[in-house]
Amino acid sequence: MEEKIRIEDLPGPKSKEELDEMKIPYEEFCKKIFDPGNEFSKPQALKGIRWMSCTMYIFTPHSVANLAELGAEVVKIEMPRMGDPMRHTSPFNEVYLYPLHDTRPTVGTGLGYTNANPNKYFITMDYHRPEMKEVFYRLVKISDGLTECYRPGTFDRWKQSYRYLQEINPRFIYVWGGGFGYGPKIFGGSYDILGQAHAGLASITGMPEFMGGYPVKHTNWAMDWYSGTLITFAILAALYWRRKTGLGTMIEFSQVQAATRILGYGVPLYGRFGIVRQRWGNWDTQLCVHGIILCGKSDYPDADNPQDREETRYVMVSAFQDADFKALCEVIGNKELYKKYKTHKDRVEAEAQVEIYAALERWAADKSRSEVVRILQDAGILAEPVKNMREVYESEHLRQRGTIRWLDDPTFGDVLVQGGYSTGLMSKTPRRVNWLWRPVGADNIKIYHEMLGYPLSTIKEWYEKAWI
Amino acid sequence: MCDIIWCKKCNTVNYLDPYCFWNWEGKVNCAGCGTVYYIHMIQGFMYKGPEERPGEKPDISPLYADKPLEGYKCYLPGTPGRTRPYNCLPRSKYLGKAEMVKFSIRGKPVRGWCPQPPSSGLAGQFPYRWDIKKLSPDVWQEYQEKIKKGEVKDW
Repeated sequence: MEEKIRIEDLPGPKSKEELDEMKIPYEEFCKKIFDPGNEFSKPQALKGIRWMSCTMYIFTPHSVANLAELGAEVVKIEMPRMGDPMRHTSPFNEVYLYPLHDTRPTVGTGLGYTNANPNKYFITMDYHRPEMKEVFYRLVKISDGLTECYRPGTFDRWKQSYRYLQEINPRFIYVWGGGFGYGPKIFGGSYDILGQAHAGLASITGMPEFMGGYPVKHTNWAMDWYSGTLITFAILAALYWRRKTGLGTMIEFSQVQAATRILGYGVPLYGRFGIVRQRWGNWDTQLCVHGIILCGKSDYPDADNPQDREETRYVMVSAFQDADFKALCEVIGNKELYKKYKTHKDRVEAEAQVEIYAALERWAADKSRSEVVRILQDAGILAEPVKNMREVYESEHLRQRGTIRWLDDPTFGDVLVQGGYSTGLMSKTPRRVNWLWRPVGADNIKIYHEMLGYPLSTIKEWYEKAWI
Repeated sequence: MCDIIWCKKCNTVNYLDPYCFWNWEGKVNCAGCGTVYYIHMIQGFMYKGPEERPGEKPDISPLYADKPLEGYKCYLPGTPGRTRPYNCLPRSKYLGKAEMVKFSIRGKPVRGWCPQPPSSGLAGQFPYRWDIKKLSPDVWQEYQEKIKKGEVKDW
């Protein structure tokens, strides 16, 4: 007789009632302590920390955005009239939020600026001018740290590197974040894609060439976001160190170096065997089945938007354990496949994977994405559709946990945000997004006049000379 | 990087955009004179063709074409009978200028459209809360009407 897996034999709840009984206490507990949407009634972990941000693009601004979302007072110093170049980078030509600056009413800030700059105060200063040095130093005296992203040694030339600033404020934490750092390529700048290429990450991402692929960059500047987050870790550790010793630190963070952290087993593999790791695309070198497959039919064949009409055809499937793989083979009506590759060691071989994924895609060729997901989930196999942005927006899971939410931004109105709430929940001191960003120099008066006490006439003079 | 079909009949350069033609086999029309060419591309390289296929129907049109010898006169994406439309554009036609929205997809007013009134602050200072009722009364009015019609949603 054919062996069948009964639902009663599987771990977990056996009925809806049992599920409710099992989950309610913990579920209610979590809902109560995290309470998404009620962040503003709670304290902020980093309140009292003041950080200066001489940063541009995504990588270094994001390292400071993390602090700002956790409650630090971050002063972002931008180029007068111009602002961070990232403001001028936008996908398509209509997604700018206006104005960029008072003097440029027809120029806006692109949505590409999102998530790297929330909650910051925006001032302008041409800090390399000798006339503005005193202002800069005064900010240093009352701040806990600074992040900058200029070519190595530039701030040193301008007498505002760690060597100089620690004389003014010994508790000062100084972060340089950039491309290569000191060493043979000290003058090399970096972009996210350069980091991915230089560190070898792009070489192991995407499908191999014989399968129609090529080295692929992780999209959306993943290396910028990731490196920025790693800087934040270093800053938090430096703050902890300062509590113990009373002394500041210099953090020197090379982006191309950071990318090597996620090479996985690639480097030790080479060290031991001399094998250069190759790409394996949407499949997995260590697990099989554990990949993304293409289904024959779209979930929304009549949709106007090509992203819905053409692209909603991908499903991630994971069934690498023997029992799961057996169930998968039964579902797709190919028991021979299971007989052939009974052990994981057999399945994970390259030739086996080619055969297995081809069989899966043949089975899915006459099915839509949701049909495939439903059939696999009903069989107890881990499967999820590869969602697009609209589906992320409509995801009940993300909405309930407050990951995706609408913000009434004080300057820009109704905006959809996700970044600040994507980083894990904290029961006592949750992250929060107060505003998306503000126009260039929007907080000049707040910082120069209200915080540092410069008279308005002086500020006006600086402004007219374009020093701020 | 993309390959081209330079049609010698009408001196039109048809650009074979890599997103579509990277691995592709079939017939493409010339945007200038409509001559049908067979091509087979593998990994972005022209493996076979272009070979003329008179009398046959094309499978696809190029996305863009121009005439470098005639002052770069060009056929933009979506010229009927010549080039195919660019599918991923957010708008039906490429207008080349910003489309300002006044409301988000859930019907609440957004701000930050162009042009903006000056901040009226010193040194670029910007008020903390931009009161849409006072500063954009027309949008506020439109918003009230949307609320009445039930077009404003939570999500």
